[in-house]
Amino acid sequence: MASLLDHSARGETVGYSFSQAAAAPVKQHGFYPYTDNGGSTLGITGSDFAILAGDTRSTSGYNINSRMVPKVFKIGGDAETGEGAHIILSVVGFAADGNALKERLDSIVKMYRYQHGKRMSVSACAQRLSTILYQKRFFPYYVTAILAGLDEEGKGALYSYDPVGSYEREQCRAAGAAASLIMPFLDNQVNFKNQYIPGSGEGHALEAKKPEPLPQDHVKQLVRDAFTSAVERHIEVGDNLQMLIATKDGIQEVFHPLKKD
Amino acid sequence: MPGFDFSNFNRNSALHARGVPLPKATSTGTTIVGCVYDGGVVIAADTRATSGPIVADKNCEKLHYIAPKIWCAGAGTAADTEFTTALISSNVELHSLSTGRDPRVITCMTMLKQHLFRYQGHIGAYLVVAGVDPTGVGLYTVHAHGSTDKLPYVTMGSGSLAAMSVFESMWQPDLDKDGAIELCSEAIKAGIFNDLGSGSNVDVCVIQKDKPTQLLRNYEKPNERGHKERNYRFPRGTTAWLNQKIISKEDMKKYVTIETLSGDDSLAERMEVDS
Amino acid sequence: MDKLVSQYSRSAHQNEFYSEQEQQELSESLPPLSLKFSMPPVDNSASFLRAMTDDHSNPSCPIKLAHGTTTLAFRFQGGIIVCTDSRATAGNWIASQTVKKVIPVSRLSRGEDKPSKDPTPGLLGTMAGGAADCQYWLRYLSQQCTLHEIRHKRRITVAAASKILANLTYAYKGYGLSMGTMLAGVTPQEGPALYYIDSDGTRLPGNLFCVGSGQTFAYGVLDANYKYELTEQEALDLGRRAILAAMHRDAYSGGFINLYHVKEEGWVHHGFDDMNPIFWKTKLDRGEFSNVTSEL
Repeated sequence: MASLLDHSARGETVGYSFSQAAAAPVKQHGFYPYTDNGGSTLGITGSDFAILAGDTRSTSGYNINSRMVPKVFKIGGDAETGEGAHIILSVVGFAADGNALKERLDSIVKMYRYQHGKRMSVSACAQRLSTILYQKRFFPYYVTAILAGLDEEGKGALYSYDPVGSYEREQCRAAGAAASLIMPFLDNQVNFKNQYIPGSGEGHALEAKKPEPLPQDHVKQLVRDAFTSAVERHIEVGDNLQMLIATKDGIQEVFHPLKKD
Repeated sequence: MPGFDFSNFNRNSALHARGVPLPKATSTGTTIVGCVYDGGVVIAADTRATSGPIVADKNCEKLHYIAPKIWCAGAGTAADTEFTTALISSNVELHSLSTGRDPRVITCMTMLKQHLFRYQGHIGAYLVVAGVDPTGVGLYTVHAHGSTDKLPYVTMGSGSLAAMSVFESMWQPDLDKDGAIELCSEAIKAGIFNDLGSGSNVDVCVIQKDKPTQLLRNYEKPNERGHKERNYRFPRGTTAWLNQKIISKEDMKKYVTIETLSGDDSLAERMEVDS
Repeated sequence: MDKLVSQYSRSAHQNEFYSEQEQQELSESLPPLSLKFSMPPVDNSASFLRAMTDDHSNPSCPIKLAHGTTTLAFRFQGGIIVCTDSRATAGNWIASQTVKKVIPVSRLSRGEDKPSKDPTPGLLGTMAGGAADCQYWLRYLSQQCTLHEIRHKRRITVAAASKILANLTYAYKGYGLSMGTMLAGVTPQEGPALYYIDSDGTRLPGNLFCVGSGQTFAYGVLDANYKYELTEQEALDLGRRAILAAMHRDAYSGGFINLYHVKEEGWVHHGFDDMNPIFWKTKLDRGEFSNVTSEL
């Protein structure tokens, strides 16, 4: 809530970074219903596919709860096999909230198909997920969600969310514990941020490298490299990499081993 | 003048009271173990140093030298283990020079506990002290508040439970040297794989009677870095720049003396880098 | 006492599984943009929410929400200029550099917001404060405006639309919403109209507003150069320049400059442009920002 409402209070004091917190000691609350289960997710889209990936480690504190808890789910498919699904969802943060959210969205997408006799479009599903998250505005789901699939034109679509449902369509997004490690890599390698075309001009005439949809193999390599790097430097990421790839032929699931320390 | 400089203490506690977070020390959320056997003692450690959830060093050394036949494994705040062991190492050497005898493990342990007790736990060093002296084999743990234990096998750090489970199920009274090394290594690996604060490689130190101490740096490397599938070299000219200024060696010679080192490794110290 | 009685007189498992209402919600065909919110089971839900999500009073709070930042809008003889940055921050983390902080409000203008030369009828809302709060309630407002249009066979006035939003934020006062919104539109009844609404329940009509953590920087530029008689090109340039100043000085603003012009026939989008080349152009071609040096 900081950015908007407290500027006047801040404006009155000289700009020491610590002066603002003086009046408000951190309050303790007996009711703490959240646990951070660690882990990280990432999604990238291409011209005819969307990939969502996540590691499969579940942690609490310095302990590993399990080495095989998937964070990426098929939405709207068969309960056991996930067959017939066309939307994928990744949730990272508090696993219990994540699971509740996934179940909720899954049942809504299924009800939509039964009632309308057609599949829910990804853009409609994205808007619905936003309202589901916002319904708990005053008692939030402790999760960062990413939704992906193919849009009406068959292009890869990816929507990223904050815990209370603000959302945006993007080319790529990293979320969770290692988001701050992976997102700068994606900015540089997918959207070509800070990359210019060598020799295209002098000084300000130098042209920035334009982002374009990447081929599927290339994206898969980026995803695996992002995770092998995150595993090196983040203690909550590891064990296995789960990748779900949505194309016009359906959703393909792949696992890769990651470091286990 | 030995001791600590407290000149920033009042300022920092005033800042902290106003809500400024204290600077984060690199801590070795760690697994360290030690185990005696007939004729010697083995200590071992993992090599991960963390700062919060981020791995600060993938291959740090947690086994510290105190005397030729007394070594120490440290957990807790990295700087505190480093400096406390260095300080005690100096004092132990001075003590042995003035007495003309080999230093004893129990002397070293007593100096450590007295030093740590004086600072009431503010020096966050959790240590396993091991060595061989004229009285025999010694193995102790020292906690940051100054308490100590003497046991045939010990574990400390965030991975101590994982490591102790290995000792409790596999330790035997009649271990030989190789058995003790293998057991300690297994215990550290239990910490590496099951405790998030511990990771990377296993360092082992073997101290025996009448034989030189062996430091087995990276005795096991169960977590080699994975290879990257793509090449991330940028073509020259990829980065934009506003202006350039070239400072030649001739220009610099006006202010400093420059000596060129040969490419020979013996002259320049080599830094450890990922391949 | 009553509370204790009600707490213990309920059967133990009454609240398990989905309630009938919730089951119905699941089977309803339209996604309900409803006013029904799930609340935490504590006495003071607002302080619970603050402890969990307010990164200002508690920098280590577990849930960091995305916030929006510098926005401005002003009236001039040719209509209304609306301009924003595009950065969203969650604590010290830049969550996104590509947020669309200008949100079209009305049934007619829903759908993909492609830059086009033809004006699109409808109102514009801006987003500052909690990103989710602004997105959700402007969408809710959009729904209400559409219903108004259907019921009364004419477009809603900006005054009425802003009042729907202000009444709403006032009803939720103290619950922990965070939004500072401007509504801009031109209607036959009132001409060009601009309102400021925030989560305290404030609703103000006016000529010129800047909202967000970078507002002071934008006001500085705007107040120095603003006059009602500005030409269209001058007004667009001034809006862009004011946001640029805020993006340059405020760490919580940055990314792209999003520029809109609202006129009688509707609003026109004038680009979503990276601030960096614009900044260097402003500096080198016009000699401004001389505090920034590129010399070594």
